[in-house]
Amino acid sequence: MAYIVPVIFIAVLLFAMVKRVKIYDELSAGVKEAVKFTISLIPCLAAIFMMCELFEASGLADGLTNLLSPVFSFFGIPKELAKLVLIKPFSGSGSLAYLNNIIEEYGADSYIARCAAVCFGSSETVFYISAVYFAGLKQKKLAAPIAIVLVSAFLTTVLACLVCRIM
Amino acid sequence: MNAVFTVIFSVSLLALTVIAPENVLPALLNGAEKSLTMAVTLFCIYAVWMGISRLAEKSGLSRAAARGLKPLTRRLFKTENEAANENIAMNLSCNLLGIGGAATPYAVKAIGELEKENNDFAQKLLFIINATSVQIVPTTVIALRTAAGSAAAADIFLPSLLCTAFSTVFAAAVFIFGKKKWRT
Repeated sequence: MAYIVPVIFIAVLLFAMVKRVKIYDELSAGVKEAVKFTISLIPCLAAIFMMCELFEASGLADGLTNLLSPVFSFFGIPKELAKLVLIKPFSGSGSLAYLNNIIEEYGADSYIARCAAVCFGSSETVFYISAVYFAGLKQKKLAAPIAIVLVSAFLTTVLACLVCRIM
Repeated sequence: MNAVFTVIFSVSLLALTVIAPENVLPALLNGAEKSLTMAVTLFCIYAVWMGISRLAEKSGLSRAAARGLKPLTRRLFKTENEAANENIAMNLSCNLLGIGGAATPYAVKAIGELEKENNDFAQKLLFIINATSVQIVPTTVIALRTAAGSAAAADIFLPSLLCTAFSTVFAAAVFIFGKKKWRT
């Protein structure tokens, strides 16, 4: 498994060398895009993290989690994941914050953190994507597609918690 | 997003002011500080992947991958529009490689192209596939786990693949069969 990423890199590098791409110039140009992209994320990240901190500090996060944990445990989802699962459709940076918290708190190789990692990796920020993709188009009826995606995301969370127990 | 943010933010703020007003400012500052730490972590991930994907793009590797995927996209999305097919293929390739940030611009372009032929079906299908995530390599997650000192950061590869495949196939199938049923 450890070979996947290095092999992708070697393949890309070899191909670029054969095609006489200026490796140093283009790699730096890619990083330049990354700089711009990261900076464009900071305002949203800061706003969301402030909200998350308030949400945590006020005790509302724990309250909501406790309220919903019977529902989640009925489906076999650990209650530590509740916040991550709830925030994921709305905000990538918010869910990333919770994923990071879970990894730090329970350790990267714990069952909870592995579950969280799989949940995070197998769903997307539905509302953000729908806003970006269909911005500037005439009114679209997106209720059905969004509902389908949300149901599928929930079922996938259930599946992820099961799979992580076995693998 | 605005409505959700406003509700959570204001309710939390009110609650915290009632319980412990002295903790309000530290909580906000703490959040801002964490956002910068997070931005640094993310930058490292993007720098590596966008650097490599730039090489793939400039060497024509991305385009070749797009061409390979085209027969599939043409059939799945029911469009003959060349530009739309290429953008969809690029979007899917980036997604499969786990570079979601690079995938978004292609999706927006593809949806614009599909709008010209009023292909509502393909637009929504592309949205569903993107919204359910179709990563082969969950790069962000693996990088985060490595940063946190995981002994085997990539061992979530198989579970992730299984789950992400399930979510996409399930959602796309429901959408496609649902569409067929309503039409007939």
